[in-house]
Amino acid sequence: MNDPNHRPSPSSPPSPPSPPVGDEQLSAWLDGELAGAESTAVEAWLREHPEARARVDAWDADRRALRAAFAAVPDEAVPAALQRLVWRGGGAGAGAEGAEGAEGAEAADAPGTQRRAAPGIARRPWALAAAVAAALVTGALAGAGATWQWHREQASRLAAGTPQGWVQRAAYAHSVYVMEPRHYVEVKAQEEHLARWLTRRIDFPVKLFDLNEFGFQLVGGRLLPDGPGKSAQLMYQDTQGKRVTVYLRKPEKGVDAAFRYERQGDLGMFYWVEEGCGYALVGPLPREQLLAMAESIYRQEPVLPAPNMNPPAAPAAPAASR
Amino acid sequence: MHAPPAFRQRLLESIPRLRRYARSLAFDPGDSDDLVQLTLERALAHWQQFDASRDMLVWLLSIAHNAHLDGRRRDARLQVTDPVDLQRAQDEAGGDPGTDVGLRMDLLAALARLAPEQREPLLLVCVEQLSYAEVAEVMRIPVGTVMSRVCRARATLRRFLEAPDGRGGNAPLRRVV
Repeated sequence: MNDPNHRPSPSSPPSPPSPPVGDEQLSAWLDGELAGAESTAVEAWLREHPEARARVDAWDADRRALRAAFAAVPDEAVPAALQRLVWRGGGAGAGAEGAEGAEGAEAADAPGTQRRAAPGIARRPWALAAAVAAALVTGALAGAGATWQWHREQASRLAAGTPQGWVQRAAYAHSVYVMEPRHYVEVKAQEEHLARWLTRRIDFPVKLFDLNEFGFQLVGGRLLPDGPGKSAQLMYQDTQGKRVTVYLRKPEKGVDAAFRYERQGDLGMFYWVEEGCGYALVGPLPREQLLAMAESIYRQEPVLPAPNMNPPAAPAAPAASR
Repeated sequence: MHAPPAFRQRLLESIPRLRRYARSLAFDPGDSDDLVQLTLERALAHWQQFDASRDMLVWLLSIAHNAHLDGRRRDARLQVTDPVDLQRAQDEAGGDPGTDVGLRMDLLAALARLAPEQREPLLLVCVEQLSYAEVAEVMRIPVGTVMSRVCRARATLRRFLEAPDGRGGNAPLRRVV
């Protein structure tokens, strides 16, 4: 079962003639599967072998791209037929296939796709379009272009690596997710859990800002696998259902730290960079109101990692995001 | 005896992630929801085999893995969505999808070209973010095999993305496995 390339972990810390590290170990390291001395040895190897480093970086980029490609699927509404199946299936109508023996039932299920217990999941014309929108995150975002008056030249500003790309992505992400009727957040606002979850996945501690004094309550947050690295979005809502979002990410190098304001259509946005963290506040509010909120967020920004937060895990922790 | 409501509730909560995995395996939303449906049916039929102290998603993914495998054996060949169709549907959906769609097309086309034995563990690790031990449980293969398959899948995917003939572009990649 073991591949010949697979080497046992070095038993002592890496010394100058360190044993070569195979691709399987590099790949396992990227997935957070190595611990202790083995992980240390791989890291030392990567420092000395830029070509191996480049290979691992490319795998990492592919991993992010794969995540992004399917990131929108869990946000799609669950087809009613599947929900019905869960509540009624295995009951009255489907009793015959009850819990007899595992093997027997498996066999009976084998030609299953011909037997459609829940009608209506068959192909629909719009389904392909939905899949494409899901498969192509950018496609899913396209629908929001109308709201954010999003022009072609701005599309190129979204491109990874442009200095203010993250600011545009903040606006974009706002437009997309405030319109989501049901799945507008990924994790609801159970304060500590949400902060820990986001902090573990982006590179700096996430603080859940309190905007109650402005009548906006935190409803939850989501992780956005956009561009290089990750971003987090926090969403707030007032009693009339008006929503504002706070977008957090590590900005690209060369982004200036000034406190800036932009307006497009009915959306206003304040953004700034502080201590290596980029913040953008986006919402359909007048400038003064938004400014007051932005200032409040600025005052609440964490100076040091908050006491209750776990530090970001080791590179590529084997995090199961469940 | 029928599945209790608590079980059904957990099943319901697992659907979004189950759909993502099915979509990443089958691409076509109709096919992938068929796979989800089949998985849910089997889970409901065998709810007593589920150990409530364990992770339901891993259990469901392993059922989906088997169902998908059965489907492949039955069909003997796997139809994947033609990138040209994807592009057309994208155009019909309207809107300018942005600059990196070509890149994403290539990624999905390259993913579709991967042998299922490599594609599945890669998706479970990268997209579903399972540990190697969990992937081993889902696919019922040794952890060492997971490690080597994930590594080979990465190398193959890179080769497809870097090779000029591996590009999605105009060459339809209707892979028959």
